[in-house]
Amino acid sequence: MKQTLRIALAQISCKQGEKAANLRRIEEEVMKAKKLSADLVVFPELSLTGYVVRDQIYELAETIPGPSTGALEDLARKTRMHIVFGMPELSEKTQATIYNTAVLMGPKGFIGKYRKMHLPTHSVFEEKRYFRPGYQVAAFNTELGKIGLIICYDLFFPEISRLTRLAGSQLIICISASPGVRRAFFETLTSARAIENTAFLAYVNLVGVEDGLQFWGGSRLIGPQGKVLVRAKYDEEDLVTCDLAYADIRAVETFVPTLKDLRPELFDELKKSAEQL
Amino acid sequence: MDLQEVETRITRFIDGYVEKAACKGVILGLSGGIDSCTVAALSAKAVGGSKVLGLMLPESETYNIEDIRHAQAIVKKFKLKSQLCDITSTLKSFYESIPAFEPSEKVPKGNIKARTRMIYLYYYANRLDLLVCGSSDKSETMMGYFTKWGDVAADISPIMDLYKTQVRRLARCIGISEEIIKKPPSPALWPGQLAETELGVGYETLDLILYGLEHFMTVKEIAEQLKVGEELVSKIKLKWLSAEHKRRMLLTTKLAYRTVGADFRLKRG
Repeated sequence: MKQTLRIALAQISCKQGEKAANLRRIEEEVMKAKKLSADLVVFPELSLTGYVVRDQIYELAETIPGPSTGALEDLARKTRMHIVFGMPELSEKTQATIYNTAVLMGPKGFIGKYRKMHLPTHSVFEEKRYFRPGYQVAAFNTELGKIGLIICYDLFFPEISRLTRLAGSQLIICISASPGVRRAFFETLTSARAIENTAFLAYVNLVGVEDGLQFWGGSRLIGPQGKVLVRAKYDEEDLVTCDLAYADIRAVETFVPTLKDLRPELFDELKKSAEQL
Repeated sequence: MDLQEVETRITRFIDGYVEKAACKGVILGLSGGIDSCTVAALSAKAVGGSKVLGLMLPESETYNIEDIRHAQAIVKKFKLKSQLCDITSTLKSFYESIPAFEPSEKVPKGNIKARTRMIYLYYYANRLDLLVCGSSDKSETMMGYFTKWGDVAADISPIMDLYKTQVRRLARCIGISEEIIKKPPSPALWPGQLAETELGVGYETLDLILYGLEHFMTVKEIAEQLKVGEELVSKIKLKWLSAEHKRRMLLTTKLAYRTVGADFRLKRG
């Protein structure tokens, strides 16, 4: 397993409902990231389709494996890169049950996927109308270390990144489609999730305007001490890279040992209280 | 489709909305075409002909005595109130007062007609405390075959969830004459304009394609079932999708906590 790696944050805008165009865009960015010697390149939430596609989701969703994951597996093999992107995933057992999914590919093909657990259905969001929530956290052993995947609104629920970290992830990847009015929340929460879990957190947000929603970008890699190690531009497409060394976690884990100090009995209490809210 | 039930649901809808809005009745543009005649008849059945004002808005370029005759027949049969306003001089004033006006460009000029009709309807509605009852059907609305802020502007649109072919069946059921039902539809924006020619497909086929799209069928499935080319289905699908901006108005960009047209989810007043 590599102890250091170079991550590329591919902050793109997407063409709503145009998978072929978005796949081309993803391929371009992967090639650019490859030239920058990145090991891993991360794209935003639902980067295959764009975020606001509403009822078109039913025709855009694909199974995994499917044509789009096939194309990106080939790309990952060809470039020997790791790629994370987002897509609407059609359940293989039904015809219209869809998940909001993050997919991880590697040089040997498909590695794993994560189905978003917290689906925002308030304000301008209508995800529960279209998606079924996932039920499992995701942490995958890769050549680049153990990588966890979470999606956007999951950041507001510390238990998701906590479980991902407890499953062994030292790098948590959060793909996102966050509109501008929520920027302050995400800028705070990305650092908080990194600090409380003593892990690297890579956050990649969408940019562009979809049906009046302006996605703010600002993608970033946060170190385990909560420091922003690299940040992409606000509101514009950007590709930034940053090196990370897992050894940096050790010093933070001794300085603020949040994992050592976890109190499991509190989680039982949390469950009981949450049920009685 | 149980047409009796459809009639009941639509008339109950019109009656309920008029009562809730505490208005004195409804007004509609009565062109003499199937959609407006059907809505006029349904309105009369809902609130009584004396509370329905049919506004006939002819103009010289598209003037058709048959249409006027059909509109008058509906007024008589369903005991509506009516008013005829010739909008020719208003249109002429518009054309003359717009420095950039270009008479050879049919669509922008035609849209002035649709929007002028809207102004007359809303003037009467305000003046007489009436609700504007729209006559757009589902086929034309899905295809974006209407003028933004023009013929589609209304307080309620009772037949907007019925395809044209369904409107024809409903019209027959509520006593609209065959002459009106079989007349080729036209928005009357310029002389000789015919809806089916402009849409590039007859309503019988169009409605089946739209029905398939409504039911999440793929282009391929629709084309196979109807034995039509995939290109035709794709073209219609694209028109349907690209016209959403005409159906969902009041778009802004989100800047604040709750946004008009986006996430204020309030009951209709």
